[in-house]
Amino acid sequence: MTKKILSLLSVLLLLAILVSSGCGGNDQASGPDPGPAQEGEETPESTVVKVGMVGPLSGGAATYGQSVRNGVEIAVNEVNENNEIEGVVLELLAEDSEGDWSKAANAFSKLAEQDKVNVIVGGVLSSESEAGGPIIMSAQIPTISPSSTATGLTVGNPYLFRNCLSDEVQASQLAEYAVTELGLSKFAILYTNNDYGVALKNAFEETAGSLAEVLAVEAFMDNDENFKPQLTNIQQQNPEAIFIAGYYTEAAKIAQQAKEQGLEVQLLGADGFYSPVLVEIGADAVEGAIFTAGFHSGDESPAVQNFVTKYRELFNEEPDMFAAQAYDAARIVIEAIKTKGTTPEQIREGIAETENFPGITGNTSIDEEGDTIKDVLILKVEGGAFDRIR
Amino acid sequence: MISAYYLQIIILVGINIIMASSLNLITGFTGQLSIGHAAFMSVGAYASALVTLKLGLPFFVSLLCGGLVAAFFGILIGIPTLKLKGDYLAIATLGFGEIVRIVFLNLEITGGAVGLRGIPKDTTLLWVIISVLVTLFVLYRIIRSRVGRALIAIREDETAAESMGINTTYYKILAFGVGAFFAGLGGGLFSHYFRYIQPNSFGFLKSIEYLCMVVLGGLGNMWGSIIGAAALTAIPEFLRASADYRQLFYGAILVIMMRLRPQGIMGEEILSKSNLTESPFLSKLKLRLKKQKNQDI
Amino acid sequence: MFFQQLINGIVLGSTYALIALGYTMVYGIIELINFAHGEIYMFGAFVGMILVTVYQVPFFIAFFLAMALASLLGITLEYLAYRPLRRSTRLAALISAIGASIFLQNLALLIMGSRPYSFPSPFVSKVYKTSFVTVSKVEVIILIVSFLLMLGLTFLIQKTKIGIAMRATAQDKDTASLMGININKVITVTFAVGSALGAAAGVMVGIYFRSVTPMMGLMPGLKGFVAAVLGGIGSIPGAMLGGLLLGIAEVMGAAYISSQYRDAVAFAILIIVLLFKPSGLIGSSLQEKV
Repeated sequence: MTKKILSLLSVLLLLAILVSSGCGGNDQASGPDPGPAQEGEETPESTVVKVGMVGPLSGGAATYGQSVRNGVEIAVNEVNENNEIEGVVLELLAEDSEGDWSKAANAFSKLAEQDKVNVIVGGVLSSESEAGGPIIMSAQIPTISPSSTATGLTVGNPYLFRNCLSDEVQASQLAEYAVTELGLSKFAILYTNNDYGVALKNAFEETAGSLAEVLAVEAFMDNDENFKPQLTNIQQQNPEAIFIAGYYTEAAKIAQQAKEQGLEVQLLGADGFYSPVLVEIGADAVEGAIFTAGFHSGDESPAVQNFVTKYRELFNEEPDMFAAQAYDAARIVIEAIKTKGTTPEQIREGIAETENFPGITGNTSIDEEGDTIKDVLILKVEGGAFDRIR
Repeated sequence: MISAYYLQIIILVGINIIMASSLNLITGFTGQLSIGHAAFMSVGAYASALVTLKLGLPFFVSLLCGGLVAAFFGILIGIPTLKLKGDYLAIATLGFGEIVRIVFLNLEITGGAVGLRGIPKDTTLLWVIISVLVTLFVLYRIIRSRVGRALIAIREDETAAESMGINTTYYKILAFGVGAFFAGLGGGLFSHYFRYIQPNSFGFLKSIEYLCMVVLGGLGNMWGSIIGAAALTAIPEFLRASADYRQLFYGAILVIMMRLRPQGIMGEEILSKSNLTESPFLSKLKLRLKKQKNQDI
Repeated sequence: MFFQQLINGIVLGSTYALIALGYTMVYGIIELINFAHGEIYMFGAFVGMILVTVYQVPFFIAFFLAMALASLLGITLEYLAYRPLRRSTRLAALISAIGASIFLQNLALLIMGSRPYSFPSPFVSKVYKTSFVTVSKVEVIILIVSFLLMLGLTFLIQKTKIGIAMRATAQDKDTASLMGININKVITVTFAVGSALGAAAGVMVGIYFRSVTPMMGLMPGLKGFVAAVLGGIGSIPGAMLGGLLLGIAEVMGAAYISSQYRDAVAFAILIIVLLFKPSGLIGSSLQEKV
């Protein structure tokens, strides 16, 4: 028995050490220190506004969550470095969901109830926001998701907002463009079997099906690597274009394998394509692919260039659409703090009243349901870069 | 007043105690390695949520329905697969779990990949406490009965148990049925707590998490499952303070804990011939090694 | 189209087979499900990718270096996480393996970041086309290399002294050790060889799918394990057969039944096979001692 107690104690001790040593890690999550110069300017009465972030920082979807955290971090740093809001310092608290919505619910609860954050940017996956919705509603903490596209997510929850393109709008606009501008008439759809892929597939199938013909619909799973069986099936139908309803890693691999298989068709996609990874992995196979997006790093506007430069400096890579949308979501929050105030209720009001916000992902308005109204860009991969064609 | 966050963790600990204890009946007491326990949970979660949403029956009834549907699946899967032994059974249960997840992911009625939302929040701390107590009481009664002794006999030596006149298939299916019932109950509490369910939270990683709770606590020890469930629910939350290193520490803790207490926190050193609980290595030299170990100390 | 799908299945299956071999070898000797094998596969892919893209090492040298380094990782893993638990229950070792898997995965995540790295194919992307099938050069290379590795492994196990020691240990550790076989050495070699095969699979899958991520080991690790059990865990030819069958089942399931239910079909086939052959396709049925 003493042995049992001893081992229990040692485990607890170990935990205590880990937790205390880990506290340093928290700073890392909130990014580089604001810098001593700015700390000196801090007046004693400056209020700290805690900005929470929930998303997959580990597990299969980690790359999306980490991009979102990076995007929010840039916005938070900007405010702190430039002393943008008089007497307000932002603090970022990022919590991992492991890509599991029930663990995301724990993260939401911790941020809302324990850390008493003023506002949350997240969840990243739709299921995370779905599970977090009831929690932040009862805690009355405004939350803006940069990427949860599930239909009807924000309906009936006055505290839940999002800043992302609607799947329906993207897919139907793309289908229209493909039929009318590109003159395509025979389509195949390859979609990832999650809420994002399914919503895109349904909308595209409907529009393309009414304007032209959809010959084949095939599914794949998140983190799949092998798409040969689906592509072989699609090839049998001889389509002119494949609409890939999924994210960039899978899209790049699909493009590669399609090319290898001799399936030379027009590739179409949605905002999930927007990442340098698409071109890094897809190389010449994604050349000529056309997709919808909200963000375009080639945009000349100073806001976009400022973001892209800072992102490169801090993280040594090119931003993807998750980072851009997260940055904008954080910027919308900052705008709300500027106009209304720092309490959760004031921030909620501010976000809800967002109108024609000039974000790096286009002009953004929030409608009464908490959904976003945004312009949809259409981009094309040309020479390994993204060109805006509409 | 405790904060809503701690309340949520306590409720999750309660649900996980139900999950771990019911898995302990299958794996710890009966010696059948199952890596599909989360599937039974998801069956219960979906069944009870649908009963509440579509039929509008009271919470108690939908919890019971969840448990019964899960038990039905436990028995259904149990009958053909329980002829399998050890790791073959483990893989069959894992396969079953993945099939269930994929079916839920594609069914219309379960909301598919989008999930099922708008489930009323019926699960309260009181419901969880009552469910945990009922689960533990029933499991305790089973283990302390003739049935329990039969289950343990199967774990210790299936062939010997059979030759003693124990209908091993019957008892194994019974263990799976009862285990699945309580997993379904846990699932019902889970779905009515989070008010939302989606298949991706019930994958094989979740099943493995429950297995970790049982082994870490100590196989075949009821207190062990309670402690294991509490520890592995709370540790990841404690580790939130370590930010990016969280999962790294979590993995290391599992390795270190097993090194410190290979038999689990509450586990006794079991001297059994069972395939699952006995080290295959140097089994005959075990006594000699034990002596050596004592000399070392 | 059937033949095209069959080829797709064989290529996928041969990578599963290579991963399954690592599982089955370790299992054959110490009856441990080496859950961290998927992470060794990932490690191998990373080493190969870094050597080729950063250090411009010729592909085949990088391939063997990745195998060698993964062997070292496998040996270290065995020494730190499994050896102390050799006298305890199998499930304790399994949990330790799960912990090691989580640890390695997240270590890679911390060091390399979450974004996928591209692993440019070192071979000219050439496609061989006949009237009814299309095969790429990479696929041919994967098939040849897998075949050679399996041939080499069979030779090692059947003809060399250490191979005989491995087989003896797998049959009966106590007697083997009484015969003067150094069990520790045998286990170390087993881990080294199994990990090298895992790394080989990782590098080949890396160039096949052209990307490497810290999470890449999760699903193939699971599938490799399933393949090993399907063939009869502990059996070397069983792992090869199991891998190929699983690959083909998955592809055929996606092609002819439903791509939504692809994995469900593969697992259903697995369960059905196990019902008729309860110890896998070529598995020796466990001898039960009363």
